Amino acid sequence: MGERKTKLVSMKEAVETIEDNSGLLICGSLIRRHPMALIHEIIRQNKKNLTLYGWNNSIDFDMLIGCKVVKEANSSYVGLANVGVCKNFRRACENQEIRWVEHSETTAMDRLVAGSQGLTFAISKTPLNNGMKVNKEYQKDIICPFTGEKYTAMKAWNPDVAILHAARADKYGNVQFDRRRMMDNETDIFMAKAAKKVIVSVEEIVSEEAVIATNELTVLPKMYVDYVVEAPYGAHPNSCDCRYDFDLEHARHYQECSETAEGFKRYIQEYILETKDWQGYLNKIGYEHLKKITRSFHGE
Amino acid sequence: MENYTIEEMLAVEVSRHIHNDEMSFVGVGTGGKAYIRAVGIPAVASRLAQLSHAPDSMIMFGPIIDPVLDSDSIPETNNEYDLIHWPCRSQTTVYDSHVVFKAGRMGVGFVSGAQVDQYGNINIVCIGDYNKPKVRLPGSLAQPDHLAYAKRVFAIIKHDKRTLVEHVDYISGCGNEHREGLKGGGLALVFTELAVMDFNDSGKMRLKSMHPGVSLQNVIDNTGFALDIPEHVMTTEPPSEEQLKLIRERIDPKRKWLNANITQEPTTLTN
Repeated sequence: MGERKTKLVSMKEAVETIEDNSGLLICGSLIRRHPMALIHEIIRQNKKNLTLYGWNNSIDFDMLIGCKVVKEANSSYVGLANVGVCKNFRRACENQEIRWVEHSETTAMDRLVAGSQGLTFAISKTPLNNGMKVNKEYQKDIICPFTGEKYTAMKAWNPDVAILHAARADKYGNVQFDRRRMMDNETDIFMAKAAKKVIVSVEEIVSEEAVIATNELTVLPKMYVDYVVEAPYGAHPNSCDCRYDFDLEHARHYQECSETAEGFKRYIQEYILETKDWQGYLNKIGYEHLKKITRSFHGE
Repeated sequence: MENYTIEEMLAVEVSRHIHNDEMSFVGVGTGGKAYIRAVGIPAVASRLAQLSHAPDSMIMFGPIIDPVLDSDSIPETNNEYDLIHWPCRSQTTVYDSHVVFKAGRMGVGFVSGAQVDQYGNINIVCIGDYNKPKVRLPGSLAQPDHLAYAKRVFAIIKHDKRTLVEHVDYISGCGNEHREGLKGGGLALVFTELAVMDFNDSGKMRLKSMHPGVSLQNVIDNTGFALDIPEHVMTTEPPSEEQLKLIRERIDPKRKWLNANITQEPTTLTN
């Protein structure tokens, strides 16, 4: 009998598969469950000229933009919620260092839904008469063949790679979310299905038996997943459902450092380049500190 | 007549315009005053409406549908864990919450904005030219969708010349000038710390009422375009004692909403 394919790899190996000049879809939304461990490794490996895709983003986009990894970015938002604006994103747009393509929450999602379903375009009324209609490379006027109504056709998205942070997975690539979770991030499921390759970091690796026993939590069966990486607290400083909260203190520190490009560089040096890997970063953050934001170790 | 704060005034006035049996949408706010305008006031207004003329009305906070809006049930913080455990009747995916908009079933979309112009176009994307902005703001979020699809949109904004401009620098929310192909009603009401505005038949912003103690000159001096001003401008009805009691004792005694305490960065609209 042939050996079954396993997808569990090291962080380093998974990120090595991301090529320069490729399109990177970042899952998560606002300050929730972006795959920060994977993003740190992308920065360590000095990737270049990436095009970013997301529907609602934050420190994930901001950090990559600040590290000059990004050529173009697409989303409806880049902000740090009640901590404030994302400074690297703001500087890069104001100094025209990246190309920014504005979306609404629905237009970004609809392009991904279309991509996930094998359709070549999505239709929407949102871009009609909106500022985003200037982006003609992905929008065309279209008339409904049945009613004659006006719509905008939007080119589907099939990014080269999606990165996603989830709760659990087995080594075969069956990925699970926690039962009690914030429903903002159900978008991750169809986002992953739109991408050509998917890298998932998880809080815990579990046995196949555990997956089978809780199969209602399996949101991405293995056919949708290419690589699995173990990364406890892998969304930090973002929250991760009922496991740990948004790290307000660390986010404020990041915000202070990002006030200037030099300050941001020092943050990256200290927290990413010198820590060598995710475990090193967690050691630096400190487990006493992480305990303060932790709600449960295995989710709810 | 009791003293009331401007936040209480606005919550009461907004509540009057919520219809029964309708769904409203409240997004995330950022923090501080923006949070009070975008989230805090709509939340209290929604509960006030439920407790008076609109008992079947519902509110949607992103994926959280029809949460219990009395003080004891409101989470202490807007940490994800607390929001997940906030008692509500349903949780839905954000994609499905958008479908409510697209299907034309969203009654009121609550928005705020850095700029609003005389035709009700809204801007939360940039100050200055889009391709070389003077200030790049975080982004449009679902505002384009609110203005495209919601039956009515209510904006709660600051009343000054920087906000109320002749023409927005970027249209993140489509106003009343060009609505071809769009199903929603667009911006219907604008609430500020000075006044309430609606729109005339030509789609231009019109003064509806001024709050007690506010002069017409005050309103004109703080508006960056010529408002349509009717012959007789009403005074916004102040909160009743009963409404103040409801806000202060039942709905928001800890000012989680009206002073943004839930964001852990409390503030008021007046400081």
